[in-house]
Amino acid sequence: MRGSPRTWTILLLSPSVGLLAVFVFIPMALSIWLSFQQWSTQTPFTAAHWIGLGNYSEIFGYGPVGRDFRQALANTLIYSAESIVVILPLSVALAVLLHQAALRKNHILRTVLFSTYMVPMVAVALVWSKLYSPAEGPINQALGWIGIAPLSWLSSPDTALSSLVMLNVWQQTGYFTVLAVAGLTQIPTTIIEAARIDGARGLKFFWRVTLPLLRRTLLFSGIIALINAVQVFEPVAMITQGGPVGSTNVVTYHIRRVGIERSEGGLGSAMAMIVMLILGALVSAIFAAAGRRSEA
Amino acid sequence: MNENVRSSSYRVGLIRTALYALMLGLTVVTAFPLAWMVLSSLKTPAETLRSPPVWFPASPSLAAYVKVNRVIDTPRSFLNSAVIGGVTTAGILVTSLLAGYVFAKHRFTGRNALFSVLIATMFLPPIVTLIPLYRIIESLRLDGNLAGVILPNLANAFGIFLMRQFIAAVPDELVDAARVDGASELHIVFRIVAPLVTPALAVLGLFAFVYHWNSYLWPLTVLEGNYDQYPIVLSLSRLLSYNRSAINTNLVMAGATLAVFPPLMLFILLQRSFVKTVVETGVIG
Repeated sequence: MRGSPRTWTILLLSPSVGLLAVFVFIPMALSIWLSFQQWSTQTPFTAAHWIGLGNYSEIFGYGPVGRDFRQALANTLIYSAESIVVILPLSVALAVLLHQAALRKNHILRTVLFSTYMVPMVAVALVWSKLYSPAEGPINQALGWIGIAPLSWLSSPDTALSSLVMLNVWQQTGYFTVLAVAGLTQIPTTIIEAARIDGARGLKFFWRVTLPLLRRTLLFSGIIALINAVQVFEPVAMITQGGPVGSTNVVTYHIRRVGIERSEGGLGSAMAMIVMLILGALVSAIFAAAGRRSEA
Repeated sequence: MNENVRSSSYRVGLIRTALYALMLGLTVVTAFPLAWMVLSSLKTPAETLRSPPVWFPASPSLAAYVKVNRVIDTPRSFLNSAVIGGVTTAGILVTSLLAGYVFAKHRFTGRNALFSVLIATMFLPPIVTLIPLYRIIESLRLDGNLAGVILPNLANAFGIFLMRQFIAAVPDELVDAARVDGASELHIVFRIVAPLVTPALAVLGLFAFVYHWNSYLWPLTVLEGNYDQYPIVLSLSRLLSYNRSAINTNLVMAGATLAVFPPLMLFILLQRSFVKTVVETGVIG
């Protein structure tokens, strides 16, 4: 069986291109189209009817629909920003530690760090909800040992969202640490030696040599961390249900509730579009900022 | 001079000890939540309610593990998880290998454009397409069904990207020589290219299996309420909501321990080659 090269190209590509077309690109196009429609998720797509920017004006309006969505959006952005700000520096610090010559042969910390990435987020959420338990949890107990008063963690609107960030940090830092170790491993030894001869040591070496050379890794890590954080769902669905008083309502949870549970498919699709546009803008901005700095 | 050498080797030893202590401390802190999960699963309901908390159960008991089976069908849930993880992973390996090969070794107009468009889907959070996708699966009458969970995930951009990266490193001469010898493209992909990229296939396979074993949003959306199709991760939510008035922390922790075990074991078994591939290539998503 020897078809022409062109035939083989099409044949070998068709499974993945076909699947992605049907289950990603068509739904994507439908999402855009549905965002301008009044449509119940329980009806066929043909039952949709055009309402122009109706869904969008509701999202940006003063009613409860807009208010709840904008709160979910703000919560998601705060959650993502806090996650990135904690995870990236922590992963670089851990990578530098793991990369120390004295520790390079010892893999226990690397294994334990990375293994948290394999734990289902549902289980992470269940365990941490118990760790955070105000009276029966070990975290407040440990704080008590060093004289800190018990915190309310998931039960107060002021601390609930940041408490969820901690779950994310625990689960994902190991993954980004391994990425950063990969980045460190790829730094050419000639550069390291040249910098040493020039007298760069310790912190100065880190700021002047290591960090600039990790820029590509950090750019990549930052974008992945952002995309992962925007998808937060399990701890909210399992533990907080968006509360207390909406403080942990995030976009994935909110849009699923509007579009699937309440069957307001058109409105939910418009919300999904806003999320996609904001994420696209943020990713482009990160790329642009990184590009400008590498030119300078 | 001698003094100097001794004091500097003393300093090196001190730094080394400090590094080891720091590493040990971080390992314990990181592992703590998992240890707490296992310990709690062995406690009595009363012990899980004690304040201040009891760290170690007075007489560790497996009763919670037995009771889990009275609330959920554990073997069935594991089977469902294995089917979702296994079939999806097999699909991703095949579709990614084929497409990765074409993008690495075939020349055709629009190749880079098509590749970029496919790769762009990596940046798309699932919520963006969730609503129409759910409706499509429903209209195919695949809702409430494992096939509905599996089908949309049989191909993914990360797999294509990863395989293209690795197959690009396979020498062109090898592929050309096989073509001259009259080998079909399928023979080249499965018999010549695939054996040369096994580490990449192993990494992709591990990632895909763990990701789909652990996934929650899409299975919940497709299967909601259809309990005998629930994978173990979804069944955990049933342990949580079963009988809110009773104290069932040990039960929930036992279920969580069971759910965590397969992906964690798989990772620990494969981690040597896995982390090595990641660290050496820096390719990972």
